[in-house]
Amino acid sequence: MKRFSKGVAIALIIFGVLAPFIPLLIWSVARRWYFPAILPTEWSLRGWSYAFSNASRLPQALRQSFAVSTTASLLAILIGMPAGRVLGLYKFRGKTLVEFLILAPTIVPAFAVVMGIHVLFIRYGLADTLSGVIIVHLIPTLPYVTLVLAGVFANYNVDYESQARSLGANTWQVIRYVMLPAIYPGVIVAGMFAFIISWSQYLLTLMIGGGRVLTLPLLLFSFASSGDNNVTAALSIIFILPAIALLVITSRYLTGRNASLGATRGN
Amino acid sequence: MSALQPRSRFTWERFRIPLLLAPALSVILLLFGGGLLLTLSQSFGYLPIIGKTEFSLAAWQAIFQRGEFWQSLFLTLWIGGVATLTSTILAILCALTLRKQFRGKKAITFLFQLNIPIPHIVGAIGILLLFSQSGLIARLANLAGMINDPAQFPALVNDRYAFGIIAEYVWKETCFIGTIVLATLQSVGEDYENAAASLGANRWQRFRYVTLPLIMPGVLTASILVFAFAFGAFEIPFLLGRRFPSALSVLAWRSYTDTDLALRPEAMAMSLFIALVSTGLILLYMTISRKLVRE
Amino acid sequence: MKKKIFTLLFVGLMTIFMTACAGAIAPPAPDGAEDTHAEDSDSHDDTEMAEDDAHGDDEDHGDEDMADADMMGPAGYESWDAVLAEAEGQTVNWFMWGGADNINAWVNGPVAETLLADYGVTLNMVPINDTAEAVNKVLAEKEAGQDDNGSVDMVWINGANFLTMRQGDLLFGGWSEGLPNYAFVDASDPSVQNDFGTPVDGYESPYGKAQFVMIYDSADVETPPATIPELVEWIKANPGKFTYPAAPDFTGNAFVRHICYEATGGYEQFLGEFDQALFDEKFGACWDLLNEIEPFLWREGEYPESDARIKDLLANGEVHFDMDYNPGSAGNLIEDGVYPDTVRTFVFETGTIANTHFVGIPYNSPNKAGAMVLANVLLSPEAQLQKADPAVWGDLPVLDPALMSEADAAAFDALPRHPATLSTAELSANRLPELQADWTTAIEQGWIENVLEN
Repeated sequence: MKRFSKGVAIALIIFGVLAPFIPLLIWSVARRWYFPAILPTEWSLRGWSYAFSNASRLPQALRQSFAVSTTASLLAILIGMPAGRVLGLYKFRGKTLVEFLILAPTIVPAFAVVMGIHVLFIRYGLADTLSGVIIVHLIPTLPYVTLVLAGVFANYNVDYESQARSLGANTWQVIRYVMLPAIYPGVIVAGMFAFIISWSQYLLTLMIGGGRVLTLPLLLFSFASSGDNNVTAALSIIFILPAIALLVITSRYLTGRNASLGATRGN
Repeated sequence: MSALQPRSRFTWERFRIPLLLAPALSVILLLFGGGLLLTLSQSFGYLPIIGKTEFSLAAWQAIFQRGEFWQSLFLTLWIGGVATLTSTILAILCALTLRKQFRGKKAITFLFQLNIPIPHIVGAIGILLLFSQSGLIARLANLAGMINDPAQFPALVNDRYAFGIIAEYVWKETCFIGTIVLATLQSVGEDYENAAASLGANRWQRFRYVTLPLIMPGVLTASILVFAFAFGAFEIPFLLGRRFPSALSVLAWRSYTDTDLALRPEAMAMSLFIALVSTGLILLYMTISRKLVRE
Repeated sequence: MKKKIFTLLFVGLMTIFMTACAGAIAPPAPDGAEDTHAEDSDSHDDTEMAEDDAHGDDEDHGDEDMADADMMGPAGYESWDAVLAEAEGQTVNWFMWGGADNINAWVNGPVAETLLADYGVTLNMVPINDTAEAVNKVLAEKEAGQDDNGSVDMVWINGANFLTMRQGDLLFGGWSEGLPNYAFVDASDPSVQNDFGTPVDGYESPYGKAQFVMIYDSADVETPPATIPELVEWIKANPGKFTYPAAPDFTGNAFVRHICYEATGGYEQFLGEFDQALFDEKFGACWDLLNEIEPFLWREGEYPESDARIKDLLANGEVHFDMDYNPGSAGNLIEDGVYPDTVRTFVFETGTIANTHFVGIPYNSPNKAGAMVLANVLLSPEAQLQKADPAVWGDLPVLDPALMSEADAAAFDALPRHPATLSTAELSANRLPELQADWTTAIEQGWIENVLEN
């Protein structure tokens, strides 16, 4: 009986996670699929062939999405890593304040901030450019990266660094041969978080990119609100594939011992 | 658990912490803090750089006098509150289920994480195609003979109670909170609970006095993030909400993109109000839940 | 070892993407000589605009512009060749509604290819959800002092958005009547001279025509209502099976205007300038009628956010009617498999609203010459013919057959018509005018206050 109920619970979890994907997958190849048909009466690749045609601008959107998300996550890691190290390793006066400041952007919706900046970006030519979009993507990504890395550094033993130093290693060598090998699983997790946050941004990209920077969410959104289910479903699937691939690549670092996110505020 | 670095003799080391913090803090202070101040300033209609030098409370007065604003605020609070509560409870239940040993555990744990990277827009589209009155579930209900016209199926998207919006958040955030709880549970192991059991604690007592305090910090952080997100998000209420009243973020965005630029200060005021309310509620929630955990 | 490989893979992938994407949207390299020329034309335009404001809506002014244009090419350019020369190498960012795959396919396909192959102009279509987004963008740029390097080079526009842009001095002017292909347009046609009652005056170039049609599923409704009172009766007799999109959806706004034309006793009384007192006096009847049918609408009075949602509702039998500004869209949607084969269109005996849509060039566009070349391509008989083909888009042409070559005119006549699309004769026999944009804006606001929020 107990075994049975556990089985039911697990089946429910599986179904719950997968349910919204089912209509997406079917719609991407359906044609004339009207209520009350459970399965389409006709099949068609119209959604896919449109998505891969020149008309859809998909290649451009993919390129710009990747450009924005990879650059924003790399920048966030570069900027966030030193702060993550300090927050994870040291106690100092004002630490709570610093933590609060770094957490603040996760609580305040980013568009409240970007609405204010927008006018300056227009004035100084940053609006409608990739760089402008990358800069505002730092607002939602940097806090997550810093906090994940703080969690990673909290489990990092600095003693190895002093040992390396006493053996004559310089700062760069310490970073390269001691610190990075020890923390890279956490860096990858942080990078994945940042990439996914940036990859999914719609409103910030729309506001600062103004449609000229055309990322996948913008492309998808204009179809999602137009009611063309075939194209919307095909674009949705294309949109989630890189995110899933990234999860597959990084999942080994995400589970088990590396409870980084939970640990950040856990101390 | 922070290790304390022995005090260094080199003078530059005294500046080490500020120096290491500088890049992140300056980005946050300039971009985030500066942006927030600019929004604040523009909500008062004040921005000398573009020639607006008059300070006015008109936008704030206007939004507080708008009936739609209060309806939207109430709706947004409802969405954020219900979505956070439901996904937190479900996440704990899921994590408690998934920590046990069973066949295919690895695959199912992976599946559980699967929708963490899925963008919310895609989730919203999936929910729409699933729950609309002619969606897949309505068709299944028809197959089962429960309905024979879409209108007989309850309105679950673009609906009065924001079910569709909440469902999307719950679908995604349960996995987010659940993954964090699961990670904590697995790193702690079952030793404490076994000890409690040997002292005669029943299942509920073990959960309440042993497991819950262990996972609480993670749950707290995650649910705060979820609430803040659900309270301020735009895409999901835009796609799955009703035209009136709409979520606060949608209302603010509509004012921002209106062809009447005079509405922009109102958009700024509304966004700041969203920020203020969510920060205030989160502080309140932290105080209360910390107290509860201690008791 | 394995872990190391993964790191390398990750970092490697990121580097590849980064390098692959560098300069993905680098702006076109500005050419010194061309730049000065563009500035010259800008300043010319500025003075012209000031002049225009001083004259107000002086009708002669439009003719003057045209005479100028005939002599010198559009907007102060020496000749059309000068425009072509400046346009070469420019990239035109065309902001347009991007929710229809067939329109996107035509713009990004044949139009973009012609533009690049024949004129060396690159087309960058920027998909937006609502034209107001582009208007708002230019407004914000003007406010921020971005006066010569704006991001919008062309907008697909009409009605209230055109009025807003004109009132805000946001449009480049004096160019459209000087386009070579404007020769195929009947310049005396009121629907080309005025856009929702606002004089066009060379500030936008006609692009296509539209007429509102009602859409129904003949499997559910045997004979569609012939008049608005009959429709109202039908709605009350079939609760839950009708709805219309909420403002600011332009299709929904147009439906509301039809109801108001009927309820207020005819549109003729509102044809002039906006009159607040008349509006307050007459439109109460319209809100009453709309509130009267509200409980009988879909979900007892819900308004979908957009017309697109209603397409889905009709396809699944949730409602039995839909509506569209493009008389050919129902046919297209049947072909795409979105609508069932049984869907048909109709117009009311009292007529349906027709209007013209245009393309405009913002005052701060750095690629005005390229945008004019694009507008000229859009006006060409070839493009208008392609666009009118139901297999491509099915948009009504703006050209006058009498001004075209016989072969071109015959090609328009020979276009196939989908069984769901009404004939041109049927459409033009039942045509109603648009009111001035101030009226339509007031009606939209009135609907929000008195019907939606009531």
